Amino acid sequence: MIHFDNVTKVYANQNRPALDHVSVDVDKGEFVFLVGPSGSGKSTFLRLVLKEERPDSGVIQVAGKDLSRLSNFKVPHLRRRIGCVFQDFRLLPNKNVYENVAFALEVIGKPRRFIRKVVPEVVELVGLEGKAHRMPDELSGGEQQRVAMARAFVNRPMILLADEPTGNIDPATSIGIMKVLDRINRTGTTVVMATHDAAIVDSMRKRVVELEDGKIVRDQSRGVYGQAY
Amino acid sequence: MRANFIFSEVWIGLRRNLTMTVAVIVTVAIGMALLGVGLMINSQISTMKDFWSDKVEVSVFLCKKNDPFPACKGSGGVNAQEQAALSQQIKAMPQVESVSFEDSAHAYEVFKTTNSGNTVLLSAIRAEDMPESFRVKLKDPDTYTAVIEQLKGAPGVSNVVNQKEILEKFFALLESLRWAALVVAIILVFAATLLIGNTVRLSAYNRRRETGIMRLVGASNIYIQLPFVMEGVIAGLIGGVMSGVLLMVSKVFLFDKVQVYLANTVLTWETVTKVILITLIFGVVICILASFVTLRRYLRV
Ligand SMILES: Nc1ncnc2c1ncn2[C@@H]1O[C@H](COP(=O)(O)OP(=O)(O)O)[C@@H](O)[C@H]1O
Ligand SMILES: [Mg+2]
Repeated sequence: MIHFDNVTKVYANQNRPALDHVSVDVDKGEFVFLVGPSGSGKSTFLRLVLKEERPDSGVIQVAGKDLSRLSNFKVPHLRRRIGCVFQDFRLLPNKNVYENVAFALEVIGKPRRFIRKVVPEVVELVGLEGKAHRMPDELSGGEQQRVAMARAFVNRPMILLADEPTGNIDPATSIGIMKVLDRINRTGTTVVMATHDAAIVDSMRKRVVELEDGKIVRDQSRGVYGQAY
Repeated sequence: MRANFIFSEVWIGLRRNLTMTVAVIVTVAIGMALLGVGLMINSQISTMKDFWSDKVEVSVFLCKKNDPFPACKGSGGVNAQEQAALSQQIKAMPQVESVSFEDSAHAYEVFKTTNSGNTVLLSAIRAEDMPESFRVKLKDPDTYTAVIEQLKGAPGVSNVVNQKEILEKFFALLESLRWAALVVAIILVFAATLLIGNTVRLSAYNRRRETGIMRLVGASNIYIQLPFVMEGVIAGLIGGVMSGVLLMVSKVFLFDKVQVYLANTVLTWETVTKVILITLIFGVVICILASFVTLRRYLRV
């Protein structure tokens, strides 16, 4: 589903590469933790999958498509098939839960009847039934992240990228977030989650890819965060 | 494409930058109105030139008794012999197409119709006061210099007046008015594009959250850019409609008032409509271009 072959990314005005000859394969339906200290290149990896950034060398394939051959015109279509969740939720403060989720479908031109059907389903899937008309500032951090996950998942993406989704959430609430991610993964969606939350990684027992200074130092199925932590 | 979605976004954007939107509308309205006035003057100049081209004459005025013109001093007025000689001389000139004689009575009639509103002037002047003249029509109105040279100072001639010369001065005045209107219009169009650029930049900043999410969930570039461009288009359209109103007002209260003095060269509503359409399209196109150019700089897609 995601294929990196010898990918190097150096940002402008930086001498050290953010990703340094990274090769990795993520299969369809997998759940992968991307771990490593801050600045190790986790977010860069996710941005490359979205074609928000371009690699300096190497090949990136997503769903069998070579991203370097994907014209700018077609990038939005790639992104429609990839859901994203971030540490800072990125909700629209002047829209309620339902509208925030529906926005993702409206702006890709989905018909209203379709939106009215699928949005409540997804709101329920993330455990927010009965809160569809709350505004973001009437929700806890964990609930706001659930809204973000509903929005990321509402178009049934084949891949879900999560960049430190529990970074702003207390450990007890994080467990609920992980359950939702697991539920999404079980529908067949490939999940890649960047984190440096050792407890979560250890509790899930999923594949772990560890980055350090832009290099992969470990790739382990059913792994834990790491002996050093 | 969900039209109501786009329009609600546009409406929010316009309201959020109300002062900038008003500034854009006013600048576009005045700029386009001046452009329109320039175009209307232009069309007037060409209809008037057409109208006058086959009517301009050289008027050869004849001396009256006690005429104050220096050429007539002590002559006691033109006599029949001189008049006949002049008529012969004019007809013999190769540049002349035709010549007619206008006596005092006819001159007074013409004077009465052109000054019908001015009763004081009319009561002060009698038919006998009007000078008699030969009206000379030239084959080519541009060849007047030689004709004037020969007739000026001929016995019995008080003065030679070339209508074309007078009209040319008038046209020159109109032409400089037109240029002034167009130059100010260009400056205002430039100001409008800068204002639109600024509005779009503000708008892009205000909506950075929305556009960020739109990019993320894979909205197409057109969908992301359209609300911004539509803001420009709607501001441009409102400005264009206002400039249309200004142009109609200027036709009724300016052009039609001046037209009273220039018979047969009325500015038609057809021309006004055409000018309004041109300025409207021009205004909207400017707005679209300005929006797009700024978007490229401030909105990553
Ligand atoms: N937009 C950027 N411009 C320049 N350097 C960047 C940019 N984003 C990230 N970097 C650098 O690239 C490296 C990896 O960053 P990042 O991928 O964000 O790491 P992580 O998400 O693991 O904390 C860091 O050294 C960071 O400073
Ligand atoms: Mg990061």
